[in-house]
Amino acid sequence: MKPVQDPEAANQRLSRRSFLKGAGGAAAGSVLATEMAQAASEAHTAEPEVLKGVVQVSFHLNGQPTSVQVEPRTTLLSALRNHHNPPHTAAKSVCEQGNCGACTVLIDDQPVVSCLTLAVRVEGRHVRTAAGLAQGDQLSPVQEAMCADDALMCGFCTPGFAMSVTACLEKNPAASEEEVRRACSGNLCRCGTYPHIFSAALKAGRAMLQAQKGGK
Amino acid sequence: MTSQDNGTPSWGARADHRVLNKDTRRLSGPEKVKGEAIYSIDRHVPDMLYGKLVCIPVAKAEFTVDVDPAMEIEGVVIAIPLREGSTLYNGQAVAAVAAETPELAEDGARAVVVNYTPQGFVVTAESAKAPGAPQVSSRSPNHAPRGGSNDKGRGDMDATMEALDASDFVVEAEFDVAIQHHACLETHGLLADFKGGDEATIYASTQVAFGIPGSAAGPLGLDRQNVRCVVEHMGGGFGAKFSMDVAGRAACLMAAEVGRPVSMFNDRRQEFETSGNRSGSIQRIKAGVAKDGEILAMHSDMDKLGGVGRGPGAVQPYIYNVLESFTLDYALHTNTDSSRAMRAPGHPQVSFAMESVVDMLAYGIGADLVEIRKRNLSDPAYHRQLDRVAQEIGWNEHQHRTAPGKGDGWIAEGIGFGVSTWGGGGGPGAAAEVRIERDGGVTSSIGVQDLGTGVRTLVAMIPAEEFGLQASDVLPRIGDTQLPNGVGSGGSVTTASVAPCLKDASHKTRLAFAEHLASVLKCEAKDVTFADGKVFAKSAPDRGLTWKDACATLPAEGLARTGKWIGDLQTSGAHGAQAARVQVDLMTGAVKVLKMVAVQDSGLVLNPLTWRSQVNGAMIQSIGLALYEGRVMEPDLGIQINANLGDYKLPGCMEIPELVAIVDDEDTRQAVIGVGEPPAIPGAGAIANAIHNACGARITSLPITPDKVLEALAKLS
Ligand code: FES
Ligand code: FES
Repeated sequence: MKPVQDPEAANQRLSRRSFLKGAGGAAAGSVLATEMAQAASEAHTAEPEVLKGVVQVSFHLNGQPTSVQVEPRTTLLSALRNHHNPPHTAAKSVCEQGNCGACTVLIDDQPVVSCLTLAVRVEGRHVRTAAGLAQGDQLSPVQEAMCADDALMCGFCTPGFAMSVTACLEKNPAASEEEVRRACSGNLCRCGTYPHIFSAALKAGRAMLQAQKGGK
Repeated sequence: MTSQDNGTPSWGARADHRVLNKDTRRLSGPEKVKGEAIYSIDRHVPDMLYGKLVCIPVAKAEFTVDVDPAMEIEGVVIAIPLREGSTLYNGQAVAAVAAETPELAEDGARAVVVNYTPQGFVVTAESAKAPGAPQVSSRSPNHAPRGGSNDKGRGDMDATMEALDASDFVVEAEFDVAIQHHACLETHGLLADFKGGDEATIYASTQVAFGIPGSAAGPLGLDRQNVRCVVEHMGGGFGAKFSMDVAGRAACLMAAEVGRPVSMFNDRRQEFETSGNRSGSIQRIKAGVAKDGEILAMHSDMDKLGGVGRGPGAVQPYIYNVLESFTLDYALHTNTDSSRAMRAPGHPQVSFAMESVVDMLAYGIGADLVEIRKRNLSDPAYHRQLDRVAQEIGWNEHQHRTAPGKGDGWIAEGIGFGVSTWGGGGGPGAAAEVRIERDGGVTSSIGVQDLGTGVRTLVAMIPAEEFGLQASDVLPRIGDTQLPNGVGSGGSVTTASVAPCLKDASHKTRLAFAEHLASVLKCEAKDVTFADGKVFAKSAPDRGLTWKDACATLPAEGLARTGKWIGDLQTSGAHGAQAARVQVDLMTGAVKVLKMVAVQDSGLVLNPLTWRSQVNGAMIQSIGLALYEGRVMEPDLGIQINANLGDYKLPGCMEIPELVAIVDDEDTRQAVIGVGEPPAIPGAGAIANAIHNACGARITSLPITPDKVLEALAKLS
C-alpha cells in the first residue's frame, strides 16, 4: 500500500482545466496549481493554490475510465507504471528526460513523452498507449505491419515507436518516409530496427488508406 | 519438413526446408507491439519496494557515508551502505535505499549523506600518461603491457623495421577511437522477489540467466539451488549484462534484510557512468607496401583505454596478411569504470585503423581499393564478398577509384570498404526439451534468454521443421533457470550452442513419436512421415492423420525427449565485407551516410528475417561509432559530461541510410554460426574510408564530427 501522506489532499480533485506551474518544487513533494483561465492574466498576482500530499487524478486510459492517487510531482510515466492498479507498463522508462521516446503516449491523440508530463496534467483527458491499439487479437495496421517487417528486436523501444507512428498516420495515412522519420525523430532504438520501422509505417499507411476507401 | 533420415540429426538439404532458412515472424512480435511483453523492469509483485543507488559524484575519493537521514523520510523502508573507504571512479555506488514508491526512493537517496575527500585522478589518456600523473590504482602503473611486464611485444621488431625500409610506400598515423556506450534501453538491474523464507525468484535484465542464482544467493543468504532466475523479455545487452552489477547486489541485500521484494534498476546516468562501455584506443601505426600491392610491414603501438580495466585483446594487423609485423599492446588506465564486452570486443577499433591504413597504402601506390584488399586477404570468402559489396555499392561506376576527391566544390560523395571475422561457434553445456501433448500442443524449452536477437523464435522453428508444423504451432519456453540449461549470450555463441540441442531434442522426439505411430499407421517407424500438419505412412500419403489426431493417440502424459549439444550441427568462422557510400558537405563538414551494404556468411541461416535485423542493427551501431558516439570526460572535474541520451548522440531516425544486408549464399556449410558480432566490426572503417574517398580528408579520430572534417579539409588546401 502506498502511504497517503495527507488524507485531506487525497480527496482533492483537479478540474479539467487545472493548470500547473512551479513543478521545480517537486523535490518537496508538491506543485502549484491554479485555474488556467486565471493563469494568463493573474499568474503574477494571484496566490497560487498548492497541491500537497497525495491527489487523485481521474482520466481515461485506452478508453476506460480510471484513476491514480499520486503525489503531485509524479510523472504520468511513473503514475502508469508504478501507481496505477494494475501497473500499466506499456510505456517504457528509459531516460526520464524526454530524450528517447520510449514512454510516448497519446494524450487526446497528441504524442507526448509521459516522463516529462505530470500525472495531474491528464485529469479528465484521454490517454492512449500501445496496449490500447489492438482490438483483442486483431492488431492495429501499425502493429500488424511492425510484426510483418520485423520492426522490433528487443522490443523495448517498440511501444513508443508504435505510438509515434500511429499518431503520424492517424493525421495522414499517406505520410511519406520523410514524414514518418520526422514523426519518430524523438524515438531511439539501440537494436537498430529503424529501416524496418519505416517500411512498416508505409505499409500500415497503405492499409489504413485501403480500409478508409473500403469503409466509404 | 519430413526429415525422413532416422540416423544422426542433421539440418537436411536447404531445398527441403519448410520453416528453417525462411523468413519467419518473431513470435514475441504481437506482445511487444501491444506493450504487453513484461520485461524485468516492468515486473511488479505485491509488497514490492523500489530501490535507488547513491553514487559518488567525483572520480576518486575517500569517503564516509551516513544513511540514517534517509530513514527519517516516511516511506523509506531501508537504507544501507554498500562499501566503505574509497572509490576509484565517478558514479561508484556507495549506498542504497528502498522505499514504497520510486519518488520516495529518490528522496531517500538524496538524503543519504556522503562525506568525501577527492583524491588525485586521471580521466583522459593525455593526463594518464603525463609525467607524475596520479596513479589510477595501486594494482598497476597507468601504462602497462596488457600481457604483463614480461610482454615485450608480438612479432619480430627488427624484421619489421627492415621490411618498412624495403617498402615502396610507407604511411604513418595515429588512430583514436572514443569510448562507445552500449546504451541498452532497459537499464541494468533486477527485481529480487523475496518475502522471507528460503526461496527467491530474481527477475533480471541479464545475458546469463543461469549465472544469476549463484551471484544472488550470497547477498540473499540463500542456497543457490533455491534461487530461480526469470528473464521473460530483455531490453538489450550487447555485451554489457554479464553480472548482476551493484544494483542487483544491493536489491538482494535489502530484500534479505527487510523480507520484502526489491526492484532496483539503474537510472540512465548510472548506466552511462558505470555500466557498460566499449574501450577506447590509441593506435600509432607505421606500415609499408610494395608497388604490387603486397603489405610488407606494420609496426603498431596500441594503447587500450579500458578505464580501471585492461580492455580487450584484439591487435593489429587484424585479419590482413602482413609479411612482417610487430605490435605493442598496452593498457592505459584512467579513473573511469572498466570497459566491458561489447559486440566483438576490440575488433571495430582495430578494424577502423587497419582499414584506414590499407586505403592509405592503396592510394600511395595507385591501387584499386578492392583489389588491394583481395591481394592481402587469403580466404576466398573475402574475395567474393568484396566483389559483391563493390557491385552493390556501385564501385565500378564510381569516379574516385584510385585517388580520392580533391575537396573542392560543395557536396562530395565517396565509397569505403571493410572486412571482418569472428568465431560464432557454440559449445556444450546447454540442453533442450521438446514435448508433444495429447491435445496436439508442442512445447520447446530451453532456459536461454532472448536479448532481442530472436532466439525465442528459433526455439519454436526447429521442432516445427521436424514435425511438419509452422513455428506458430510450437510454444517456446525460455528465460528461466527452471528450464533445461541455457547458455550465456555473449560472443555470438547463443545460436550455435542452443540450436543443436533443440535439433537433437526434436529429432529424438520425432523418432519416438514415429515408433508410437507405426502401429497406428500400420507401417514401419522409419516410414512414418511428418509434413504439412499431417502424419502418414510414406507409401500412403492420402490415408494419414492430422497432427492433432495423431497426437490424440498418445498416452495421457504425452511424449517428451531431451536433447544435448551436437558439435556437428554448428561450426565457427564467420566472414563479412561491408561497403559504405557517404556524402560530405564540404562547407559544414557534415557527413551523411547514404547507403551501407553488408555481405555476411554465417553457415546455415535459421531465420533470414531476424538475421537481417541483426545485421542492420550492427551497421547502425557502426554508424554511431563512426560519426556520433563517444563518452566525453571533463578532465578537471573527472566526470562524464554527456551521461544522458540527450548529449550522448545515438543514431536516430534522421541518420539512417539505405541498408542492405545480404546472406553470402556461396557459404554452403550445413551448420549454424552466430551472427551477433561480425557485422558490428567493419562499418566504422568503411565509413572513415568513404569520407576520405569523397574529399581527401583523412580523419583518424572517431567519432568523425564536422569539426574534424573541416579541420582535415583545411589542411588539404
Ligand atoms: S523515458 Fe521518456 S523520453 Fe525517454
Ligand atoms: S528493438 Fe531494442 S531498442 Fe529498439
